[in-house]
Amino acid sequence: MKGPPAPKPKFSNLTEALAAAARSHCGLTFVNMREEEQRLPWSEAYHRARRAASALMKLGVRAGDRVAIILPTAPSFIDAFFGVLLAGAIPVPLYPPVRLGRLDEYYAATARMIRLVGARLVVSDARLRRLLGKAIEASRPELGCCTADSLMAGGEEAEARPHELCLIQFSSGSTVDPKPVALSQENLVAQCAILNAHINASATLREVGVSWLPLYHDMGLIGCLLSAVYYPAPLVLIPPENFLARPALWLRAISRHRGTASASPSFGYSLCNHRIRDEELEGVDLSCWRIALNGAEPVSVQAMRTFARRFGRWGFKAQALTPGYGLAEATLAVTYCAPERPVQAMSVDPLELAREGRVRSGSFEIASVGMPVAGVEVEVRDARGESLPDRRVGRIFMRGPSVMAGYFGNPIGTARAVVAGWLDTGDLGFIHRGELYVCGRTKDLVIIRGANHQPQEFEACVDPLEGVRTGCVVALGFTPEGADGEQLLILAERSAIGPADLEERIRKAVLDGTGVRAHTVKILEPGTLPRTSSGKMRRREALRRFLAAELRPPQPVNVVRLAGRLVQSALAYAKIELGHES
Amino acid sequence: MAPSSQQVIDEIRRIARQELELERPVDAGDELIRDLQLDSLGLTILAVGLEDRFRVKLTEDDSARVSTVADLANLVARRAAEEKA
Repeated sequence: MKGPPAPKPKFSNLTEALAAAARSHCGLTFVNMREEEQRLPWSEAYHRARRAASALMKLGVRAGDRVAIILPTAPSFIDAFFGVLLAGAIPVPLYPPVRLGRLDEYYAATARMIRLVGARLVVSDARLRRLLGKAIEASRPELGCCTADSLMAGGEEAEARPHELCLIQFSSGSTVDPKPVALSQENLVAQCAILNAHINASATLREVGVSWLPLYHDMGLIGCLLSAVYYPAPLVLIPPENFLARPALWLRAISRHRGTASASPSFGYSLCNHRIRDEELEGVDLSCWRIALNGAEPVSVQAMRTFARRFGRWGFKAQALTPGYGLAEATLAVTYCAPERPVQAMSVDPLELAREGRVRSGSFEIASVGMPVAGVEVEVRDARGESLPDRRVGRIFMRGPSVMAGYFGNPIGTARAVVAGWLDTGDLGFIHRGELYVCGRTKDLVIIRGANHQPQEFEACVDPLEGVRTGCVVALGFTPEGADGEQLLILAERSAIGPADLEERIRKAVLDGTGVRAHTVKILEPGTLPRTSSGKMRRREALRRFLAAELRPPQPVNVVRLAGRLVQSALAYAKIELGHES
Repeated sequence: MAPSSQQVIDEIRRIARQELELERPVDAGDELIRDLQLDSLGLTILAVGLEDRFRVKLTEDDSARVSTVADLANLVARRAAEEKA
């Protein structure tokens, strides 16, 4: 199925878009925990970026160099990001560390990402820079690490010299095998044009964006920040950690600024459902919120329904909820529901879906993620690559102007993911009445609260535990019935003599090692997990069997065969002993 | 006046109960990760909540010094005293 024709982008690159935004009267507003606000008009952001670009060039940053940016949601991020862009280098935003979190894994993951893109410089702030020492030491960027503030010291402003590559983004959270997705200027302006066409369906409205999403993640960076530059629109930014600590900040900011468009993964909506108290919303009016996008992780029908019911009292309109589907390799959006219509969900039989790949009605609700966005074509294919009819589950493929330039420095990986312009999303879904429903994935990935985790991260914590059969553990993401988002499932085979509290030990080891809490830990009899002929775990098949309630231990060895084996081994011993004697 | 460690522990208990919906009681000797089983979301909520309440800044490398509730309470109390000074 095909979206409407792609709109023609207004600009040929992002630096042109920023220069145009600088001529508008709007800009960014940063909100802190106490709701104090700091304004940064696009005009000022542009001048600051040109100063940063000049300083970067003086430092020795050349066209095409990769520059890692590790900064919180603050004006310094804007300076660094656009400064790098104007200097003709390629910004690579990476996530800053979590407070009170585990640092060793953070250092290792950050160093790996810096090395993978061959960043020549890291831009950070004074506070983080002290901390990043170990990651910098391990990755040795040629020009070291500087602070964003230091880029503002000189007064000179550079002229923009845009590079053809615009940005490298990592799919969030991934630490074992992070893939750097390289996006061209063309990818970016095409995506911004698509998002603008979608969101601004009625041209008479002026949009106001509000976002708490991290700026090192596609939905926050491209969906919010860059599309606001392109529009240009005012955008209110809340640091993600502040939103997590006090979700009401988000809804209050929307009300205060008369926000019309704001996005979040499902978990953000359910965080609001659980953690906002009524008294925090005194005087709040959400009737201005026209588009509440929901994407970046499986869309939970339950979370959306609860959100609409709960916040209707404050003027929130249920039809504002707009599920969508996208991925970093497609720059961002692939499908979106039409704005301002109620969420469409289908109730399917989860067993039938897992066993046969067929859609039959049942008790498990899946939300439609809508139709292809402008310029995008979507197909669901079977294992042989043939296009499937409606209501049959297969692999989702897409093509369009925003399919990534490629994985940076990894032509083999790129060739595997993009064939003849079609991107293999690695996700599973089906089409029904011209809309896409996503119901699983073929790639090994666990998506929790919008962050992508490689299963190996979890498995590595469990594998060394006493009582777990070595190499016989798989980590998977699944949505339990009634839950409002994807959760972590651990399937582990026990060894012959396992400690009684093995499940508890596994839970602790996973939390300790990864900071993620397992929803379900299942201890299995040896030999239960499906393997390939070479003995590797087949994760997706394990999940399918788990969901289809088909995870069974291997056929118990019957008494006769067992006796036979005993005889055989007794014979073997006898032979050995005989051998010794002779 | 800067808060005492005990006041910080009380606030940690409040956050644990009201914000994190932890059902078990919180003791000073509990380890944040092992005993309270806080994940990265829980730790962020706790850290930002304490910063906000006591007007201190916890830095990312503080995690190296903090493993129990008491460690965290002492650190916050010390930071708060430094801010006042």
